[in-house]
Amino acid sequence: MAKKQTKKEIKKQTKKDKIDKSKNLIGLLKKHGAQVYEDLENGEFPKFSIPNRSISNIIYDKKLRQYVLGTNTSLRSSRNSSQLRSFTQLLWLAFFANKLTHEKKSSTLRDVYYSSQAFAVDFEDQGESDNIIVDLEAVLSQPREDFYVFPEERSSIFGDLTIEYTIPGYEGKTQNLSSHPDGYAIGPSMTSAELVDTSAELVIAIEKGGLFTRFVEEQVDKKFKSIIINTGGQAPRSTRTLLKRLHDEMGLPVVILTDGDVYGEHIAMVIKSGSANAAHLKGLTVPDAKWMGVWATDIDKFKLPTIPMTESDIKRCYDLLKDPRYQEGLWKRELEVFIKIKRKAELEAFSKYGLNNITEKYLPKKLEESKSF
Amino acid sequence: MSSNEQFNQISPSEFFYRNRDLAGFSNPTRSLYTAVREFVENSLDACDHSGILPNIHMTIKAVDPEKPDPKQYILTVKDNGPGIPSKHVPLAFGTVLYGSKFGLKQARGMFGLGATMAILYGQITTNKSVKVKSNADGKTRFDFEMLLDIQKNKPVILKKQETPSSEKGLSVSICLDGDYSKAGTKIRDYVYQTSLITPYATISFDDPKGEKFHHKAIIRSMPPAPTIIAPHPYGIDVETIRRMLVDTHYQIPNVDDKMIEKVRKELGMSKKKFTYDEIMKKTEKKWKSLTRPVRVVLSLMSFLEADFEKLQRIRIEDVDLRNNKLVYWDYSTSQTLVAEMDVESHYYKQLANTVQGESLTHFLSKRFQRVGPTAALEFCKFAKFKPETRVGNMTDQELVKLSDALQTYDGFRSPDPTCLAPLGDGPLEKGIERRFEPDFMAVVQRTASAYSGFPFVIEMGIAYGGKIETRGTTVYRFANRIPLLYDEGSDVVLKVVKDTDWNRYKVKNDSAPLIIVSHICSTRVPYKTVGKENVADRPEIEKELRLALQFLSRKLSGYMSNKGQAEMAKKRANLYSKYLPLVAQFCTELSGNKKEPNYKEMIKEETALINSEGSQGEVKKNG
Repeated sequence: MAKKQTKKEIKKQTKKDKIDKSKNLIGLLKKHGAQVYEDLENGEFPKFSIPNRSISNIIYDKKLRQYVLGTNTSLRSSRNSSQLRSFTQLLWLAFFANKLTHEKKSSTLRDVYYSSQAFAVDFEDQGESDNIIVDLEAVLSQPREDFYVFPEERSSIFGDLTIEYTIPGYEGKTQNLSSHPDGYAIGPSMTSAELVDTSAELVIAIEKGGLFTRFVEEQVDKKFKSIIINTGGQAPRSTRTLLKRLHDEMGLPVVILTDGDVYGEHIAMVIKSGSANAAHLKGLTVPDAKWMGVWATDIDKFKLPTIPMTESDIKRCYDLLKDPRYQEGLWKRELEVFIKIKRKAELEAFSKYGLNNITEKYLPKKLEESKSF
Repeated sequence: MSSNEQFNQISPSEFFYRNRDLAGFSNPTRSLYTAVREFVENSLDACDHSGILPNIHMTIKAVDPEKPDPKQYILTVKDNGPGIPSKHVPLAFGTVLYGSKFGLKQARGMFGLGATMAILYGQITTNKSVKVKSNADGKTRFDFEMLLDIQKNKPVILKKQETPSSEKGLSVSICLDGDYSKAGTKIRDYVYQTSLITPYATISFDDPKGEKFHHKAIIRSMPPAPTIIAPHPYGIDVETIRRMLVDTHYQIPNVDDKMIEKVRKELGMSKKKFTYDEIMKKTEKKWKSLTRPVRVVLSLMSFLEADFEKLQRIRIEDVDLRNNKLVYWDYSTSQTLVAEMDVESHYYKQLANTVQGESLTHFLSKRFQRVGPTAALEFCKFAKFKPETRVGNMTDQELVKLSDALQTYDGFRSPDPTCLAPLGDGPLEKGIERRFEPDFMAVVQRTASAYSGFPFVIEMGIAYGGKIETRGTTVYRFANRIPLLYDEGSDVVLKVVKDTDWNRYKVKNDSAPLIIVSHICSTRVPYKTVGKENVADRPEIEKELRLALQFLSRKLSGYMSNKGQAEMAKKRANLYSKYLPLVAQFCTELSGNKKEPNYKEMIKEETALINSEGSQGEVKKNG
């Protein structure tokens, strides 16, 4: 049904969604604040109910095609002296997130850790504050990017895509992402920007920065009418959010290109169906995304130079075989081939046949192939 | 061996002079400390045995304060004890091996030799006399100044003086080489710790630097005095048996004025002069009501044909049963004379019995504790002795056999602890409480036990926190109310404390303000060295120490977990006061309210709750 709507309509709709989402978040935070306030006023000890994130409470939702949390929740009460500290930390973070969202100011995980020190709330280390951030995500069912807490940037984007900034100081400014050949970092301003227009018909996500640069040089964006995204290994959540938005808001199909090994296969899977770590969050997945390669079967087919798998590589294969998402089709097949050949190939392996071999020969062939699955 | 070699007999004084290291007089530091101990302990023992609350005053003064250490010091110890009758003073302080403590009961010192050693040491190092002031009757004080003739082991009285005085007690003052700058700490520790284990004593000490230490008595009642009892067969050796035999059966009583007085009294012939015949006539009549020593004296008189006047002039030298002769020395004619004895006379039987001694069973059951007639018979069976064997006739080999058998026979009951004088848990507890003012304390007195025939009792106290300033476990060791200060490394008490896993009792061993007071009471504390500084690890003693410490540790553990809970509660209260205001602040801003919620009551309630919980967990005492 999205296809029937014009792009403009979709945009309008998403803009409204976004504002709603922001309002929604603020409302949610306020609601929690008010509840705590009321409890105190009544002489009662306030508490939070936090979805349980332990392994036993993580289940695979076949319908959503991702991991979700079960119904188990744990109570964090200020009455309990061993929880009082982390309760206060959580409330402080809600208060801090509220501030960030209001002021539209982004901060990193590390910032959060240091910001806490301005208030008498102390975190022992960043690990502790990171944990509390995930707690708040779980309580709100919203990713931290929604309340303006971002990880360090390491992924980037290039291609014909016009965006309009919403962050303070840049509101209304537009930018076309094909004007700088090194690409644009996917940071808070990118994540919160409006997606205005694009001529592209495809998004290619690549695991490695080196290949990303090669693709820009070889003008893959023009040749294949695509937007190129460097995930920098396992895609950060802001990048996954952006991929989802490109797919949902701009109606672009997403293909993923990774090293020909078990980790590459899983990078593709996480973009497609999320990770167990983020089982408490929805809206980070692109279920329609396609893993284009490098497949285990490609190694033989394209006569790629290989390196042997390590013990841990093989162990990882067997671990993933137990994952419900690897029980059928392509995913299962490729994993089994990896186990059989016990060898892997990197994206750079194509260079054996010339630096542009990957863009000239492999990419067109696989793109053609990918339309059929 | 060369025939030119000379063998000289040496007197006990000379022996000690040559071996003074053994007795703790090895150097000026150690000697000063040992001298202090010997005099203080003698005074305490004297007061204990007379039931007098001790009040002891000690001064140490430098003869020439300007001189560097080691130098001459004058040590004076004065007590309020029973004093020593003036006629015994020269012997008591002027000879080695003149002791009043040869019985078997718990005392700080065994024979009172140490004090004489101190006097000897003082005389050797400074060539100055000892000054003794004794008032035994509360009327007259006798002041002596004496030197010791080392070779002859005899006192040399330089000065003697009498002064009327109503103040009973004894004061001894000697001049000796010492090093107070080095020994001072130990001496002050000694005085302090002595006051801890003798809470009924007042002890004051003026040190050479002008400092005054005064430890007042904490309690006004003395623990019950120990009784003198017979030895237990397990703790006996051949020499002791021999002495016991001499002591008891071969007792031809010393016929002195006192004895004669006694004989006269029992016969009812006190007043006038009586002839030999008159005496014998009366003797026949009264024989059955007479005591044994009197019978023996009268038997002698019958053969000597002596009246009381004659008796006074002679000394019995031998009762020769083989030849039926009585050998005696006549003072009036200065010659040895012999009297025949009539074998048929019942006086002969009396003497023979006395000389041959009792039967073995009688000897065992009368002279030893825990041995009744049945046990004695059983023992004779075991040791293959005829029960009616006369102990006086036993050969040396038989004595060795007897002594060995006494050690190996396991049918005797364990030793009688009534000869022990533990401090008792009350006084011990008071002592610890007053001296340390701890948050927690517990004491325990174990029941008596025995090692190789010597009974002993372990008393122990534990104290934690409060005004205890030391960190880590401090152990105060006592044996028979003497503090043990040196050589603690090899002591059995330390071993037991070290072996304890304090974590099990919730105590942080290295930082806890913990004090352990251990007191071993025994008729013979198994010291490792002559210097009485550490107790050897006899398994029986170690076991008792371990049980005592475990008992106390469990009590401490109980206190610690209460205390832990109280601390937790306090911590919790602190948490609430720290975090609730923050919670209030954040939720106020988050919810868009202007005024903070009213949460202060909650903190107050929480803290009040904790305070009431906490007070339950405070000072807990053994009880």
